Amino acid sequence: MLKIYRNLIQYKDLLLILTWREISVRYRQTSIGIAWAIIQPLSLMLVFAFIFTYLMPTRVSGYPKMIFFYAALVPWTFFSTAINYAIPCLVNQYNLITKIYFPREILPISQIIVAFVDFLLASILFVVFMFFYDIELTWNVLWFFPLFIQLILFTTAMSLTLSSLNVFYRDVNVASGFIMRLWFFMTPIFYSIDTLSIKIKLLLFLNPLTFIIENMRRCLIEGRGVIVWQFLIVSFILLVYFYLSIVYFKKIESKFADII
Amino acid sequence: MIILNDIWKQYLLHNNTHRSIREDVVNLFKAKPKTKQSDGTFWALKGVNFSVKKGECLGLYGPNGSGKSTILKIIGNITSPTKGTLQVNGRIAPMIQQGAGFHLDLTGRENIYVNAAILGMTIKQIKKNIAAIIEFSGLDCDMIDVPVKKYSTGMYVRLGFSIAVHTEADIFLIDEILAVGDEDFKKKCINQILHLKKLGRTLIVVTHNMQQMEEVSDRIIYINKGVIE
Repeated sequence: MLKIYRNLIQYKDLLLILTWREISVRYRQTSIGIAWAIIQPLSLMLVFAFIFTYLMPTRVSGYPKMIFFYAALVPWTFFSTAINYAIPCLVNQYNLITKIYFPREILPISQIIVAFVDFLLASILFVVFMFFYDIELTWNVLWFFPLFIQLILFTTAMSLTLSSLNVFYRDVNVASGFIMRLWFFMTPIFYSIDTLSIKIKLLLFLNPLTFIIENMRRCLIEGRGVIVWQFLIVSFILLVYFYLSIVYFKKIESKFADII
Repeated sequence: MIILNDIWKQYLLHNNTHRSIREDVVNLFKAKPKTKQSDGTFWALKGVNFSVKKGECLGLYGPNGSGKSTILKIIGNITSPTKGTLQVNGRIAPMIQQGAGFHLDLTGRENIYVNAAILGMTIKQIKKNIAAIIEFSGLDCDMIDVPVKKYSTGMYVRLGFSIAVHTEADIFLIDEILAVGDEDFKKKCINQILHLKKLGRTLIVVTHNMQQMEEVSDRIIYINKGVIE
């Protein structure tokens, strides 16, 4: 593990430059550029607010719908964007992978950083919403940071697993759009798990994002804390998965050039 | 210093492109006929032994499909040998053909950063060398800040080569890229290779041009169908 880290550090400038390349290529020749990062969660928020206010009026929670949806949409968008960018990234860089050595994990990691930059921009709007709806801040807001580390661990592990699987099975890329849509509905984004029965709660907790996103929203807008033992269990599971995904990725990395 | 000790490399001919999970699951339940196993594979290298000393320039010569590029790929850590051991000391700069890492929407200057970083240079080293890279490529000052999709093939290739030769590496792998550019640029390339040799870099050159190869290499290895002749 330490060896993998050292090898990666040697290539940190490559990681920086590739990340910069991804950002500049993505927004070059677009007229509103980086504003796209905010439009995606914002438009979803508006659509959901419209549906649950006018089409099928529902009381989702005690909090204003807009900020309630947006608080979950921002971390979700980070996750889904990172995964969608990462899955095809090894296959797309075919001509590099078959010609030159560099730690292959740099490619999916740079995609995650790009999604992270989008996340930061979308978060600015969230802070504006916090003031607009006059949300009271408590110390529990600090829980957001350990939860975000969990989100990064999970996103990285998923990206490494899926992008390398996509080298062997292109099915991954084909299925990803559909699976991400299902996943969206199985994550508490436009609903809260608070009022659900324990059975349904346990079912939803099979999805690590349920824990992460529900708690992020609780600590940010509801001022609630995170139950520590739950946090520790989820952290442990995520760390094990993260570790396994790296070991697996490094193990099959040398086959990429032959198979791709 | 590079030592190849009895290197074998096998490639799969089929199944090496798009495999699907469905196919794999079906195959799992199908009894595999034992005799079929020898089909569909191809030995690109069959027990290759050689070593290159530090500061030496080795030429690899052989017909298409003889395994020259496979040897470079194995030395460059792009693919691993099926059998045999490899020892490489020093940092490697593979010269990828025609700027393989170029992004069409980025300018020449931006692509220098990307490509040089892929070759293992740090941002500091790139900043130090960028003037020399641009000068060597012979591109006009106003062309360097234009997206490379507007470049001619020659400009494209010249820039790629120029980045590669300015990499700070110990071992250079040069795969058939001498065949590009006009006569002037070719001469410049050969001079640059001789210059690298003088600096004590190790070089492995693959080309179909015997005259060029004799000009730069200390020693030539003939290879055919994966064996050294």
